[in-house]
Parts: sequence; structure tokens; C-alpha cells
Amino acid sequence: MSGVRAPVDGDAVLGLSPRVALEPASLDEAADAMRALARDRAAVTFVGGGTDLELGAPPARLDAVLHTRRLDRVREHAPADQIVAVEAGMTVAALQRHLAPHGQRLALDPPHPERATVGGVVAANAFGPRRTRFGTVRDLVIGVTIVRADGVVARGGGKVVKNVAGFDLPRLLCGSLGSLGLLAEVVFRLHPLPEASATVAVPGLAPAEVRALARAALDARLDPVAMAALQEGDRFRLAIRFEGFGPGVHEQAERLLALDARGERIEGADEAALWARHDALRLAGDVRAKAAFPPAALEGAVRALEPVVATLAAGALVLHPALGIAFVAGTLSRAEATGRAIAAARPALRPGNGSLVLAAAPAALRAVADPWGDPPPAVEVMRRLKRELDPDGRLAPGRLAGGI
Amino acid sequence: MTARSAAGEAARREGVGARSLARQLAGIVGPRNVVVDPAELLVYECDGLTHGRVCPELVVLPGSTEEVAAVVRVARDANVPLVPRGAGTGLSGGARPVPGCAVVSLSRMRRILALDLENGWARVEPGVINLDVTRAVAGDGFYYAPDPSSQSVCSIGGNVAENSGGAHCLKYGFTTNHVLAARVVLSDGAVVDLGGPAPDAPGYDLLAALVGSEGMLGVVTEVTVRLLRKPETTRTFFATFPSTDEAGAAVSGIIAAGILPAAIEMMDRLAIVAAKAATGLDWPDVGAALLMDADGPRAEVEHVSARAIEIARAAGALEVRVPRDEAERQLMWKGRKSAFAAVGRISPSYLVEDGVIPRSEIARVLRDIARLADEAGLRVANVFHAGDGNLHPLVLYDARVPGEEERAARLGGEILRLCIRYGGSITGEHGVGAEKAAYMAEQFGPDDLDTMQRVRCAFDGAALMNPGKVFPTPRLCGEKPGPYRPHPAEVAGLAERW
Ligand SMILES: Cc1cc2nc3c(=O)[nH]c(=O)nc-3n(C[C@H](O)[C@H](O)[C@H](O)COP(=O)(O)OP(=O)(O)OC[C@H]3O[C@@H](n4cnc5c(N)ncnc54)[C@H](O)[C@@H]3O)c2cc1C
Ligand SMILES: Cc1cc2nc3c(=O)[nH]c(=O)nc-3n(C[C@H](O)[C@H](O)[C@H](O)COP(=O)(O)OP(=O)(O)OC[C@H]3O[C@@H](n4cnc5c(N)ncnc54)[C@H](O)[C@@H]3O)c2cc1C
Repeated sequence: MSGVRAPVDGDAVLGLSPRVALEPASLDEAADAMRALARDRAAVTFVGGGTDLELGAPPARLDAVLHTRRLDRVREHAPADQIVAVEAGMTVAALQRHLAPHGQRLALDPPHPERATVGGVVAANAFGPRRTRFGTVRDLVIGVTIVRADGVVARGGGKVVKNVAGFDLPRLLCGSLGSLGLLAEVVFRLHPLPEASATVAVPGLAPAEVRALARAALDARLDPVAMAALQEGDRFRLAIRFEGFGPGVHEQAERLLALDARGERIEGADEAALWARHDALRLAGDVRAKAAFPPAALEGAVRALEPVVATLAAGALVLHPALGIAFVAGTLSRAEATGRAIAAARPALRPGNGSLVLAAAPAALRAVADPWGDPPPAVEVMRRLKRELDPDGRLAPGRLAGGI
Repeated sequence: MTARSAAGEAARREGVGARSLARQLAGIVGPRNVVVDPAELLVYECDGLTHGRVCPELVVLPGSTEEVAAVVRVARDANVPLVPRGAGTGLSGGARPVPGCAVVSLSRMRRILALDLENGWARVEPGVINLDVTRAVAGDGFYYAPDPSSQSVCSIGGNVAENSGGAHCLKYGFTTNHVLAARVVLSDGAVVDLGGPAPDAPGYDLLAALVGSEGMLGVVTEVTVRLLRKPETTRTFFATFPSTDEAGAAVSGIIAAGILPAAIEMMDRLAIVAAKAATGLDWPDVGAALLMDADGPRAEVEHVSARAIEIARAAGALEVRVPRDEAERQLMWKGRKSAFAAVGRISPSYLVEDGVIPRSEIARVLRDIARLADEAGLRVANVFHAGDGNLHPLVLYDARVPGEEERAARLGGEILRLCIRYGGSITGEHGVGAEKAAYMAEQFGPDDLDTMQRVRCAFDGAALMNPGKVFPTPRLCGEKPGPYRPHPAEVAGLAERW
């Protein structure tokens, strides 16, 4: 079988080393590889760009890693229909480069687009600031081809945006972290590249002011593509981005400036730099957590998260006020204290089904804090779903919430 | 054995009849809420599709999640299949009873339980009518985006089960993009909560599986839906064309210009005639018409709308009408939304199809449909969501003419096959239900269907919920995976071992 090699150091996942590494270069090879793993009852973890392997718990067993990097082709791009079918190992940046000459993009802007693969982004449910307008992977994926644990190739969804034939496998696989099957191919709906872009940034805001201004923008019926507040000392700078046609972007930016006199309009290279700072802040250090809460609970969430930030070196928060998401990032200095702060923050975030998930954490922190928190309410159904699709528990066992 | 299942065993041994089941259910929901009278059962024999009627054993109308859970447990112990039912407007036979079943009608559960405008959601019981959600919050400038043409009569529970869409889902998405949480009673009587007002609940996205599952995963008893602020500005125009070719080119041109209309709907000559007959609108007799909405902030909308009109003209529009006021705009939309029913004015009977094709193929597919219709000696009116290629061919026929109904059904099937051939789908919003299950095997392979059925097994291992729908052949849950099938390459000794 081609695409099999001995493992190297870089193949380890959260400290576990596999016995073998697989690098299929086609759907057929991927299916062959999965069948061979089934025959050997081998436990496998899938690796895309390897940017987000720290998300979740370490796998309970690891015999093999399957890299998708050689599955890196655009299968079909129909510009007039605004859809693209792409192999899972293609990076987001490579896909965007393919689409841009057609005036199109995948409206998804996760961190590290040069390394992150579309399969990894779907499996990790990764997103960036444009989620405010375009939603998550689940709002953009319209079809998938998976290879199941038993090596069977199955498709769900299709190549048209509107489609309710059969159960929604594509959306069900979003965020499944490779525990239900290998995503081999993904079909996305696309959006036009905007003609113009502008960001208005308002510095010096307390959390309550972040929420109030975000709300005022929405109440004014503005339609921003992104809203994020970056921590600067004990204050926040709220950045609100508009994209679209020139006249629309201009008018919206002006109207936002009229809402808050402290605002500053930023365009061009400065705008790109501001949003790059957002990504950098979100990813700084070795501890990263994502808190989710109903948007109106923003101040409460910040109060719950501040003690966590305080235990980290160079800790900071990034708030997404329209989404009800906050990212915590920083460098671990006192694992025990951080663990205690996380344990204390979780109940405070729980109302409205909020959560605090560790996206990355050194082993010392993992030893004292569960990456997911309490098992989700429907964990029994989730276990049954896992058993249906992976009866022997060989796909990234134990990585998901509830030990799935 | 638990007390409950012991009772079930005993009941089965005695061969529990419908009467005893009715008595047990009446003990849960009250005698008035169990329907056994054959005359009263008639209305439950079908949904919006009136052929292929099946009389249920009985109908039960629970009033709360607890009552639903108790009903499900009784049904499970008696091994009686359950068919959930909302408003019964479905167009794929999804709520059609199966022999010996109990229909669970959610029509008594129609309270709006909570509104939270700060966070943008409403929590409602499943029997709440779609439009009533918008009505409850319109005064505050909010609305519920998914807008099926049936929105003044269909229920939120039905919308969730069908993943219903509407004219405006081109920009705003379908029901699945607007459901934040749901409470579901599973076939074992367990009540589970999926999702929540906060985003990104850890674990699998079971809500994604639930929406669009056509009543086969459980009975939905509460739904939390997203509420949106009403857009600041909406600009509408109505444009006429010599034929669907030019109208199709206009749609493609508008999309290619980077415009995302809120809605863009197409009607062909026959649909225009029908809509005029029903509404008295003064639309001209032309080959095709487009109705487009752009919405959002003022300047963006003015720009987009003006640009789209230019493109329509360049594509060959005969006339472009811009409504003078909201009343005239509503009238235009009424013409569009009443087009299904309006076809009744020009034909004694008709059949509504629902299929999807790639948007860029609209003109070609419509010509193929016209050819198929000619061959069948029938007329087809087309009124549909052009922006996402979701066709609704209306096959006109006269049931009194022997053989015509069968020919119409065959033509409907040919149109679905056409959609599959063009790389589309057999349903864009009406669902598979009982009606299209046979076509699933043409759109999907056995392994695709098997994978979907495993999802059902995770929720409903007993296959108690709406059995026999969606899938051409049911799969027994708990089936041992077949023996390992070696790949030919392995048999040939090509595969390495490690
Ligand atoms: C340090 C760092 C921190 C980050 N933190 C966050 C964060 O907090 N939130 C966020 O949204 N994004 C975060 N990201 C964004 C990150 O870019 C995405 O999660 C990433 O895009 C995933 O793509 P990948 O190809 O790198 O996946 P990988 O990191 O290789 O894999 C991510 C997960 O998906 C699985 N997987 C990968 N490919 C497949 C496949 N084809 N089929 C099935 N399963 C597969 C893997 O097993 C793994 O569980 C972070 C990135 C980095 C580098
Ligand atoms: C004139 C007309 C126009 C239409 N236009 C559109 C349109 O534009 N877009 C569109 O998408 N549809 C349209 N429809 C179809 C129909 O209105 C939708 O499918 C609607 O969502 C069905 O809702 P209902 O309450 O009538 O459900 P029902 O017909 O009662 O049931 C539909 C399905 O949902 C299941 N179900 C119902 N309630 C529950 C529950 N609480 N829990 C679990 N399962 C449940 C049933 O078992 C069944 O499978 C139209 C129908 C008509 C008659």
C-alpha cells in the first residue's frame, strides 16, 4: 500500500507516538488505509495542518496517524453556482488563492490559513471574526465525503446549497474532531469577494460599553461582517468591520462613527494589521480557552474569566460581543491556580448553556483541568452515535466532551 | 426487568387492542385529547398531499413535554409506532400515518414560552405557527427569518422536522441556521436538551441532525429560534422577460456581479397567468418574470438594487416595475406566494414538485422540463426560488381523465431524475417523507443511506418514530456490522501489513 511510512517525532499527538503514519493521496487510497486500519483494529487520529491538535483531550489510544496533506486538490469549482468541492487536506489559504481570481471566497477566516486545512477546520469547527456575518463552518458546508471507521466511503448533502434530502451528515460532522470518520472531501457554498472594506475601532471601552456599542450598531440596523474587542490593559478596543460595495461600506462606517465620537476609521494596510493583531492576541501563549455565553451576558462572562486571565503570564481576552464568545490566551505560570480559576468560572458561565473549553493547554494544566468541563446534557445520545459509526472506538477515542 | 417493561410484556401477551391503548393514553392527556372516532380520524389520514391516505389507529394530543414523554413510553411498551404531526401542511407525506400507528399531534402545544430580545431568541412550543413568532416580536423591530409560503399555517415543529426554507433563505439560510436549541422526547421516553442560547455547546452537533430529520429522531416539544432585527431598508423590483432564458441569464448576471439578493423568485408564463387570475394583479402576459428583494443598510441596498435592475435590463428585461409603496410591494409578493394555490384556477388538479438544480442550469432545465411535459401531453407551471435553483414545477392535470393522474405522477418523477442528473437534489425544502423515499436510492448510494440510518439508530433504536419515511429500505438497528470485506487489493496481496 502506498502512502505508509514510519512515524517521525512530529507525528506525536499530545505526547502520544503512533506506530505508523499514513499519507493517502486519493480517496481510494484513504479508503484502503482505513480498511487496513480496521483489519488491524488500530486506533487512528487524523491530522490536517496540525495547527489544532491540542484541542480536546489526548486520545486514549493511538496506533496510527493519518495525514491529509496529500489530499490537496480542488475537485470542482463552479463559479456561477458559487460552490467548490475540495479535498480535505487543502489549506484554507490555497483554496482562497484558487477562488480569488473568480471574485469569490470561502467566507471563513480561521487563524493560520496557510497551515489549517479545510478538513481540520470543519472537524475543529474553527472560525474567525467574520463569523459575525457569515456564521460558522456549519453555515457554509453543503456536502461531505467521509471514510468511515470500517473503510466505507459515504456521502452526505450534495453540491447544491438548498437540499433537504436525507439526514444532514455534513453539519453533524462539524466539530466532530475526527471521531466519527475521516473527512475526505468537503463541498462549500461560496461568497463574492467584497468590493470595499473598512473598520471602525473604538478604544478605551469597559466590557459594558463594548456590549452597549455593539448593540447600538445592530439596533441602528448596520450589518457588520465582524465585531471583536481586543484587551488593552484593563480596557478594550472594539473593532467593527464592514464589507460590501463602496457606497454601503462608506455609509455604514460614517454612521458608526456618529454613534461614538471616540471611533477611528481604519482602512488598507492598517486595517489588515489590526485584524492580524486580533488573530495574534487570540493565539498568544500556550494556554487558550474559548468561553461561550448568551451575548447579553458579556460583562458576567468577563467577570468570570478575569481571574483565569490573572493567573496567566501576559494573559488577555478577545471578545466577540455579537456572538457571545470570548477567547482567553496567555502563558501558563501557575497551573494549580489556573485550574482553580477555570473550575470557578465554569458554573458562572453555565446559564444559557454556556461553556468554557480549553483549546490548548500544557500537560501541567491538563492534569488539573478537564478540557471540556462537565459532560453535555445529551451525552448518552452522543455515545450511541459514536458507537454506531465507530463501534470499536478506534477514531480519536476519548478526545471529545464526555470522554467520547 | 423494570416494572414498566414488565407491564408492557404483559400487555403484549394479552394482545392490547386500540381501545386499551386509547384508555391508557386518555389517562395521560385526558379523554378529550384522544381521537378514536373514525369520522374525526379522517383529517389525520394525510398531510398536504391528499393521495395515499392511511387511517391511524388513533390520534393523541398531548399538552406538555411530560405528557409527550408519557405517551411515548406507553406506545413503546405496546410497540405502537408514532407519527408526529404539526399543522399537516407538509407536501411529502411526512405526517402521513403508517398502519397501526398513533399520530402525536402537537397542535395543542402552541404557547410562546419566552422571548429574549437582548439575546435575540424566542422559545416556543412546537405547535406555534411560524408567522406568530414574527407577530410576537414585530412591534420591537424583530422577526423570524425562515418564511415558507405556508408560514401563516405551518408549525415551527414541522419546520424543524423539514428544515423548511422560504423565499428569503438565499440570504438568510434555512430553518437549520435559525434553531438555537430544542427539547426532544426520544423513543425510550427520555427528554433531552440539544444546544442552547449560548453558541458552541461542547459535543456533537446533534441539533444539526435533528433539524430536517422528518420526525424520525424524536418528538420535538420545545424550540428556541433565533430572532433577527428587521433590515433597515428593503428594495423590491418586478421584471418581465420574453422567456425564462433571459430571466435565467438575469439571475446569473446578478449573482456574478457579487450581489446577494434577499430573495429572487422566478415565474414562467403559466404561473403568471395563474397568479393574475387569483389576485387580479395587472401583470402583463409575458414568458417569465422575476421578483427580487434586496435588504440591509440604506446605501448598500440602493446601490445593489440599482445595479441589479441594470443587469436585468441588459439581460433583456421587457419592463421593470418598482413598487410605489409597501402596500404595492406586499401585493407583488402576494402574487408570488399565492402562485401554488392560484394554479387551481387554471387546472382542476395539480401536483407540486420540489427539486434543486445548479442555479446556472435553470434555463436549460426548464427547457428539458417543457420537453418532458410535451411528451407526456401535460402542462407544467414553474414558480420557484431562482437564486438557489430550487424548482417547484407544478404539474397540471385532470384527475377525471382516466390515466392522467398516473401520467402526471410519472412526469413528476422524471423531473426529479432530471434534477439528479444535473447534480442537484430531489428536494430543496418539502422533504422526502413517504412520497420520495424511492428516489433516495437514486440520489444516494447504499453506503450513504446506511450512514444516515446509523444516525437514526443512535436516536431511535426501536424505530418507533415515523417509521418507513425517508429511507427506501429500513435498516434494523443493532445489526452486527457485516463480516469484514477484504479489498481486492488485499486479496491480491498488494496491501502491506505493519
Ligand atoms: C495554536 C493554535 C490555536 C488555535 N486555537 C483555536 C481556537 O481556540 N478556536 C478555533 O476556532 N480555532 C483555533 N485554532 C485555529 C486552527 O486554525 C483550526 O482549528 C485549524 O484550522 C484546524 O485545521 P488543521 O488542518 O490545522 O487541523 P489539525 O490541527 O490537524 O486537526 C484539528 C482536529 O481535526 C481533526 N482532523 C483534521 N483533519 C481531519 C479530517 N480530514 N477528517 C477528520 N478529522 C480531521 C484532527 O484529528 C484534530 O482533532 C488554533 C490554531 C492554532 C495553531
Ligand atoms: C401552500 C403551501 C406552501 C408551502 N410552501 C413552502 C415553502 O415555501 N417552503 C417550505 O419549506 N415548505 C413549504 N410548504 C410545506 C410545509 O408547509 C412545510 O414542510 C412545513 O414545515 C410543514 O409544517 P407542518 O406544521 O404543517 O408539519 P406537518 O406536515 O404536520 O409535518 C411535517 C413533518 O414534520 C414532522 N413533525 C411535525 N411536528 C413535529 C414535532 N413536533 N416533532 C417531530 N416531528 C414533527 C412530521 O412527522 C412530518 O414528518 C408549503 C406547503 C403548502 C401547503
